[in-house]
Amino acid sequence: MPLQTKFIDYTIDDITRVKEEKLADGWRAVQILCTNCDDGLEIVYTYTKGDVMENYIVHGVTKDDVIPSISDAFIGMFVFENEAHDLFGANIQGIAIDFGGKFYDLAMPEPMTVISAEKQAAKEKAAKVAAAKAAAEAKRAAATDAAKDEKPSIEEQRAAFEAKIANLDPEKAAKMRAAFEAKLAKLAKEGE
Amino acid sequence: MAKSTIIPFGPQHPVLPEPLHLDLVVDDERVVEAVPQIGFIHRGLEKLTETRDYNQFIYVAERICGICAFGHSMGYAETIEKLMEVQIPERAEYIRVILHELSRVHSHILWMGLAADAFGYESLFMHCWRLRERVLDVFEMTTGGRVIFSDVCVGGVNRDLTPEMQKKMLDVLNGLKDEYATLCNAFLNDSSVKSRLVGVGYISQESAFAQGMVGPFARASNVNNDVRCYGNGAYGKLSDFQPILDTDGDCYARVKVRALEVLQSIDIIEELLRTIPDGEIAIKVKGSPKPGAQASNTLEQPRGECYYYAKSNGTKYLERMRMRTPTSMNLAGMTTALAGCELADVNMIVLTIDPCISCTER
Repeated sequence: MPLQTKFIDYTIDDITRVKEEKLADGWRAVQILCTNCDDGLEIVYTYTKGDVMENYIVHGVTKDDVIPSISDAFIGMFVFENEAHDLFGANIQGIAIDFGGKFYDLAMPEPMTVISAEKQAAKEKAAKVAAAKAAAEAKRAAATDAAKDEKPSIEEQRAAFEAKIANLDPEKAAKMRAAFEAKLAKLAKEGE
Repeated sequence: MAKSTIIPFGPQHPVLPEPLHLDLVVDDERVVEAVPQIGFIHRGLEKLTETRDYNQFIYVAERICGICAFGHSMGYAETIEKLMEVQIPERAEYIRVILHELSRVHSHILWMGLAADAFGYESLFMHCWRLRERVLDVFEMTTGGRVIFSDVCVGGVNRDLTPEMQKKMLDVLNGLKDEYATLCNAFLNDSSVKSRLVGVGYISQESAFAQGMVGPFARASNVNNDVRCYGNGAYGKLSDFQPILDTDGDCYARVKVRALEVLQSIDIIEELLRTIPDGEIAIKVKGSPKPGAQASNTLEQPRGECYYYAKSNGTKYLERMRMRTPTSMNLAGMTTALAGCELADVNMIVLTIDPCISCTER
């Protein structure tokens, strides 16, 4: 029986309720983790029972939000709650064994909330690439639509081409004309 | 009238292989309360995902711990493969589990040596470590490394197990079994060893479950949360797997569970070597995970369940990588086991959770 993993969104108000439900139902708390996101912290609470593992996610947690501790019910979580406080600045209240910010001996406060220049650059680059990709996709779609709407006739294409090569060297122009005619012939054949 | 005193224990102490500090509140010679303190070697490895892409980070992951190095690289790679929805070749799954179980053998024998040293049986410590060297020789033969192997990659493994390597591995393990049986006899039947271990640091099944204990520490209190039961990878190909449990919940039970797990791991390796399929050992994994994708995974490390979590931001650098190691789940249980014990037993009890603070602090 493989382990089934689920990700479930919930809110700060649900933390205590879910904790009590899981405790009453014989679940085990696995861990708590934080992620520093653009809209604040994301906190993941993981519980398991049998072959099911559920990850409950709270989004957009700010330093002003008071997070209730779950270590009163699941004592093993005191490690992660202290860690979340020390490394991310999560305002967790009521930790069973509270080290008051001295759990880790850190050179700077809340180091995991600092966005490094490398990470910022990678994110900005990814955003730019995604935007460029979307723009190119939109342009290609628009061009396809326009081509469908009005396709120039062969004579019009030929006239446009002649205008394009008018000032070129005659020998080069003759070569380009031959290639163009071959292309037109191929398109015409495909059209048939 | 007993007088309460606080005795600082660690982070540097002859019996502690890891930098763990305990404030022991004692009444005469009896420990009333133990407050753990870690944080002396926090390295911020999870933060390194910002500057190492998901392929490079595997080398960071295996440096989380020198004893569970292979397990961490395997757990990390499995999580990334889940994140990117990649199925690795079956042969790679077998090789990973074989080497991971071999890591468990060397980890448990290493620990047994440390435990023997702690209860004053120094020659037993030396014999354990001598035996462990032979397991490390197998690692050197198969992967080229004795501590850090760099054998796992996202998508499979880097080196195949040739038929000659497989034969040599079986020969070494067969030879190991006989000598190991002699060691086990000393650990499990020697009266002086029993006098130090039996009834010491007891934790009930209910207490072990309530505190979320994992690994052999929990299994010695009859709590079954062995992740191998889920049958991930080649574990699912085993003809039968039953976790080793004990009901006594004391230091002796923890030694017994680990001692028997070594034999179980050897059996697993032998079975997988007999049935390992031919084929590719890795597939090429290209591109970046989808933005916002997340995956979690668990792996049974020698010390217990290890949880891995990865979240992508659409680049080759992960938004978040998390490893929750087994020792961090066992700290609460350790404080419970210490409450009420004799001061002389503190080192034994601390050792029987097999603490790995380097893993815990990452």
